[in-house]
Amino acid sequence: MIVTGGSIFRTGLLVLLGVVIQISGLSQFHVLGASPDLTPLIVAAVALWAGSVPGAVTGFFVGLLLDLALGQNLGSSSLVLSAVGYGVGRYGELRDPAHGLIAIPVGAAATAGYLTAFAAVSFMLETAPSISALVLRDTLVTTILNAIVAVPIFGLVRRVIRPVLLAQPAGRRRRAHTRETGPIGLRGLEV
Amino acid sequence: MYDKKVIRRRRAALAVLLGLSLILLTAYFGESPSGVLHGVQRGAQQVLAPVESGASKAFKPFSDLFNWVGDAFGAKGQNKKLKKELAATRAQLAAAQSALRENQQLRAMVGLPRRPGFPQGTNPVAARVIARSPTDWYSTISIDKGSSDGIHPDQPVVTGDGLVGKIESATHGTAQVTLITDASSAVSAQIMPDGSSGILRPAVGDPSDLQLDFIQKGRQIKKGQAVVTAGFQSSGLQPLFPRGIPIGRVRTANPSEIQTYQRVHVQAYADFGRFDYVQVLTARPPGVQAASVGVGP
Repeated sequence: MIVTGGSIFRTGLLVLLGVVIQISGLSQFHVLGASPDLTPLIVAAVALWAGSVPGAVTGFFVGLLLDLALGQNLGSSSLVLSAVGYGVGRYGELRDPAHGLIAIPVGAAATAGYLTAFAAVSFMLETAPSISALVLRDTLVTTILNAIVAVPIFGLVRRVIRPVLLAQPAGRRRRAHTRETGPIGLRGLEV
Repeated sequence: MYDKKVIRRRRAALAVLLGLSLILLTAYFGESPSGVLHGVQRGAQQVLAPVESGASKAFKPFSDLFNWVGDAFGAKGQNKKLKKELAATRAQLAAAQSALRENQQLRAMVGLPRRPGFPQGTNPVAARVIARSPTDWYSTISIDKGSSDGIHPDQPVVTGDGLVGKIESATHGTAQVTLITDASSAVSAQIMPDGSSGILRPAVGDPSDLQLDFIQKGRQIKKGQAVVTAGFQSSGLQPLFPRGIPIGRVRTANPSEIQTYQRVHVQAYADFGRFDYVQVLTARPPGVQAASVGVGP
C-alpha cells in the first residue's frame, strides 16, 4: 500500500464506517443469539490485499476505535486485532492467494482467532472471570456468520483500497497484452 | 524474497503496535476513572454518539424486519415446545382431576354407612366399575370383585349417594350389577318421613325418571321428600333390600295419573353415568331396622 493522504483517508473512512456500522447497526441483527462482526473482516481484508504492516496498523486503529466507542479496556481490542491483521497479512504475502472464495476461510479464521484471543485477554483482565458455554456458542455462530458475509465484505474493501495498492490483487491482475500469432503459432506468418 | 531490512521493519512495526496496545492497557488500568485515557474515551464517546445514534436509527427498520423473521422461526420452535408442555400439563391435570373424583367418590362411599338411618352391619365391599352398558335399556355394569370377595346375586349395590342396583351374577373375580334404571328393575321403596311405600321402577323410555307407584292417593307427598328402600319383599318383584338405603328424592307427585293410587316421580341421588366405584353390601343387617329421615347426599 502506498502511504499517502489518500490511502490514509480511504482506510480511515473504511475503519470509521466499519466500526460505526458494527456497533450501531449490525449489533442489532441477531441470529441464534449472536451477530455478525465486521471488524475482524475489515482488518483481515485490508491485511490480505495490502499486506501485514497495513493490516496490523488497521487492526490497531479499528481496535482503538472500538475500545473508545464502547468504553472497553483501552488497548485490549487493539492488541488482538493488530495481531490478527499482521497474521492475515503475512498469509497473503507468503501464499499470494488468488482464489475467489479465499475470503471465506480467511474471514472465518480471522474471526475465530479474534474472538478467541479477545476472550482470552478479557479473561485475563477480569477480576472474577467465568467462561460459560454461551461464549463458545457465540464464537461459533459469529464465525459462521462472518464466513457467510466474508465474500462481499472482502470485495467491498478491495474496491475501496484498490487505488492505493502497490500491486493489483492476484485475482484481478490483468494479463499483459500478447501479440497475436499466426495459425501455427509463429509470428509473421499471419494469413 | 524480502530482504532483512524489510523483515526487520515489519517486525518492528508489529512490535510497536503490540507494545503500544500493552502500554495503553497498562496505563488504562493504572489510572483512576478521572484519568487522561478515561477522559479521552469519554470524549470519543461523546463525539461518536450522534453518528452512532444516526446509524442506529437508520438500521433499526432493517434489524426489526430481520429479527422479526428470526423471531418467527424461533416462535415456531417455541410453539412446538409449548404444545408439548401443554399436552403434558393436560395429562397431569386429567390425572389429578381423575384422582380428585375418585377421592370424592371413595370419601362419599366411606361416609354413606355412617349416615343416620343407613342399615348397619352390611359389611360393604368396595369395587371398581370395569364395564358399563352403553344402552339405556340394559343398564348394567361390571365390577372387579366377585364371589371370592363374598359377593353373591341379589346383594344391594350402592355408591356414596345411595342405591344404584343389585348384583345380578357373580364369577370368581367379577360381578354383574343391574342398575335400578334397568327396565327389569323394581325396588320396594318408602317415602320419608311420611312412610308411604310403593314399587320403584324406571319410566319406560326414560330410565333417568324413576316412578314410585302404588302410593295411596290420600297421602300428601311433597317435592324433595327422601325416598329410601322399604326393606320388605313385594311378591315376586324384587328380593329384599335392607331398609333405609337412600335412593333419591321426590321430584313430582301426580295424583291424577292413576285412579286408585298416585304416581310419584323420583330423582335418584346417584348419577348413573358418572360413578367409578361402588360398594356391595355383602351382609344383611341383624334384625329389622326402622327407616328414618336424614338420608340423601
